[in-house]
Amino acid sequence: MIQSPAELEDLREKVRKRRSTFDRVVRVCIGTGCAARGSRRLYELFCEAAEISGRSGHEPKWKIEAKCVGCHGLCERGPIVVVQPGEILYQGVEEPDVEEIFRETVIGGRVVEHLLYEDPATGKKAQTAEEIPFYKVQKRIVLAENGNVDPTDIEDYLAVGGYAALARVITTMDPEEIIEEVDRAGLRGRGGGGFPTARKWRSCREAEGSPKYLICNGDEGDPGAFMDRSIMEGNPHSVLEGMTIGAYAIGISQGYIYVRNEYPLAVRHLKTAIEQAEEIGLLGDNILGSSFSFDIRINRGGGAFVCGESTALMASLEGRIGEPRAKYVHTVESGLNGKPTNLNNVETWANIPAIINRGGEWFASIGTEKSRGTKVFSLVGKVVNTGLVEVPMGMTLRQIVYEIGGGTKDGKAFKAVQTGGPSGGCISAAHLDACVDFDELTRLGSMMGSGGMIVMDEDTCMVNVARYFLGFLKQESCGKCTPCREGISQMLYILERITRGEGELEDIDTLEELADLIGETALCALGKTAVNPVLSTIRYFRKEYEEHIIERRCPAKECRGLFLYEINPEVCNGCGICRKNCPVEAISGERRKPHLIDQEKCTKCGVCFDKCPFAAIVKV
Amino acid sequence: MPAVTIDGIEVNVEPEATILDAAKKAGIWIPTLCYSPAVPNLAACRLCMVELDFGDGGQQLVTACNYPVRRDLIVSVSSERAVSARRGVMKLLLARSPESEELKELAQQMGVEGTPYPKVTESQRNCILCGLCVSVCEEVIGCSAIGYAGRGAERVVAAPFRLASEDCIACGACAAICPVGTIQVRIHEGTGEAEISPFKSRAKLLICEECGKRMVTEPVGKQVLDRVKIDWEEFRKRARLCPECRRKRAAAALGLAAAKSM
Ligand SMILES: Cc1cc2nc3c(=O)[nH]c(=O)nc-3n(C[C@H](O)[C@H](O)[C@H](O)COP(=O)(O)O)c2cc1C
Ligand code: SF4
Ligand code: SF4
Ligand code: FES
Repeated sequence: MIQSPAELEDLREKVRKRRSTFDRVVRVCIGTGCAARGSRRLYELFCEAAEISGRSGHEPKWKIEAKCVGCHGLCERGPIVVVQPGEILYQGVEEPDVEEIFRETVIGGRVVEHLLYEDPATGKKAQTAEEIPFYKVQKRIVLAENGNVDPTDIEDYLAVGGYAALARVITTMDPEEIIEEVDRAGLRGRGGGGFPTARKWRSCREAEGSPKYLICNGDEGDPGAFMDRSIMEGNPHSVLEGMTIGAYAIGISQGYIYVRNEYPLAVRHLKTAIEQAEEIGLLGDNILGSSFSFDIRINRGGGAFVCGESTALMASLEGRIGEPRAKYVHTVESGLNGKPTNLNNVETWANIPAIINRGGEWFASIGTEKSRGTKVFSLVGKVVNTGLVEVPMGMTLRQIVYEIGGGTKDGKAFKAVQTGGPSGGCISAAHLDACVDFDELTRLGSMMGSGGMIVMDEDTCMVNVARYFLGFLKQESCGKCTPCREGISQMLYILERITRGEGELEDIDTLEELADLIGETALCALGKTAVNPVLSTIRYFRKEYEEHIIERRCPAKECRGLFLYEINPEVCNGCGICRKNCPVEAISGERRKPHLIDQEKCTKCGVCFDKCPFAAIVKV
Repeated sequence: MPAVTIDGIEVNVEPEATILDAAKKAGIWIPTLCYSPAVPNLAACRLCMVELDFGDGGQQLVTACNYPVRRDLIVSVSSERAVSARRGVMKLLLARSPESEELKELAQQMGVEGTPYPKVTESQRNCILCGLCVSVCEEVIGCSAIGYAGRGAERVVAAPFRLASEDCIACGACAAICPVGTIQVRIHEGTGEAEISPFKSRAKLLICEECGKRMVTEPVGKQVLDRVKIDWEEFRKRARLCPECRRKRAAAALGLAAAKSM
């Protein structure tokens, strides 16, 4: 048990000294993406190799350590292995590569060229993360130690300066000073709403009632998002430290982490982290020998998207069904069990230690006037580099899509970027130079949300995109309130008609009218924002709606029935495969002669398109 | 006491009263469906939208039934924005439950003539999912015999697994509170049972020994016992008669006694 900040520093020194005896360190990413490609096995193989080399008769030349670390962000190129010294980054590592990396790099100090990252645009190889364009313009605060520390070993976190911020606030700052520091930082909640964190803390501190509760929202229900997951899995102590500082500032002794049910690894790592922190006196009773005590419990999520909403989350924590309630009385006044409750998102909490360590002013110097610091995004869709990125607020969409993402795939034209998760909006190419911050994204009819970013290219039908997201939200609406339950169903019904080619001209007006109604009257933010996908696509791609409705044509050729299949006679060599496969016998033609589709008979099922070995069938 | 100005009429209400309370005091009608003083705070139907004027140029739509009055407020019930929000919600409800007479009548009072929207969601006997029945069963009666099954548009009110609930005492509170008559108490003459439809739960009815009139259901009686702390035998002794027959008997006994003493 550590009884004082001085003892913490002693321990840190000891850990660092012990660490410095390793000459070589191999860090294997066990983040979700890499683990799915077998990185755990790689780790074992490296451990074996290190052990064998340690036993090999004569005095081993190097002291070697292999360790597991969290997500690096470049998931698409995983599994990722980094060798120290030199920070040499290998990507796409497979089991047979372990021996080579070990022999060449770990022992021999040479670089294995074929495992280095190669820039698809220039063909240039990169040895370290810094040299990879994907990382170059990123700025990592929250993710700084992801990929460096072993999330299951508190000593790793201590070695990189962990819990120094906690020690500092407990010994030298009073609660009001901490809140002021967070206020100076200008930190806004990363869970979607962008509410000023310091203001929330202050309201909760000043609220009457006890006990008060503190919650970390790790529900992350957005499909395809994995920002919070990577933080919880890759650097759980940063979340715990942030929460503990917040608890001290607000005056709370009980905390909860509400983790999405589908994140077992996050739960495991958080559990281990809590146990280790308790063991050495950084959590639990009398933290660092002070009179401050704080406990953290982990709860598994209720499994629905809406459970991430603050009031639904609290209902779920209370053991009731996870449904939102009106927030006219704020949760900082009456939240969990009717007591003052301070809820923040995982990423929000993870920013706190850095703010205390480096000062609110430093944090505020990053980003834009109203949105300070950085934001983690999960960049996915039709871009060359997908993965987790952390950028300063205010970076343009263009920079994110092109400099980090490497532009659209396969030379297709960029069409839109969807931000903010399922209830975000689609932003068109005309606004690629917009700065990404809370207010700008809202102004553009989208939102920051929790940081999803999906890039779409010319082959994406925007009406279909709206239909897709609305379909998701219809599934996830809890059904409590009329506008969300009935209104979304009405809108979806219209969108389905349009994508089937049965749209009517008034449909666009009706969609806008319904969107307005739902936005005004829904009970919670799920309903209120569910209209964004529709409104934003109407705003930027109205023409596409009109083409569907008036011309009965889907320009992106995604909506079945709104385009034709034809055979290009130049390419068709008359193999007859399409003719044999067509379920309605709409294709005719002699062997070795170009075939023809009878448009009267064709049901546009697309079988011929998929079966033709020569890509002679085109959508027109 | 904070002052609430509603469509120009000023009233004072206790702190923590709602805008709806204030409106009632001011004599202004706001349509509601999911509000009942027995189970306040549902705010699910969203029919009672009114416009709040913050006085600094900002306005916001809020639900009158649960917005707490904590300071002076300026509220508009008749503003265009509020009216069109309420009518919009009503049109969505009409699309869901086009057959409901209760809904049609309320719509008419609100100046809504039918709905432009097609029926795209299924409603169980016109149920508008106001939630009153579930809440009254849980919070007032204390039985939690019914709840929600399914999410979103699929949501329905049902007993667990859609089987007759063991917890239902067939008190009929849900039927009484339902604003659109979805829930009904059916009497089965043959078996002497009350059924809460559509939840399928049934319970035996106590019958007056004198006139044969049906009284409460047995489980309701039992639940009452728990509260007043008398046992079942005792209760059966006292509750053998319906109130009317009991009165008659009492009067007769009195008459007898009076005759004797003469
Ligand atoms: C439908 C819905 C889902 C949400 N899901 C999440 C989530 O998964 N994680 C999260 O942190 N916030 C989520 N939020 C936002 C929370 O309600 C809340 O604003 C946030 O956790 C507050 O933390 P912050 O101030 O640090 O952003 C969701 C909101 C809505 C309306
Ligand atoms: S807006 Fe949707 S998710 Fe939110 S309470 Fe209403 S029905 Fe439920
Ligand atoms: S059955 Fe009646 S009381 Fe229950 S939710 Fe439906 S409409 Fe409301
Ligand atoms: S009566 Fe107010 S929301 Fe239903």
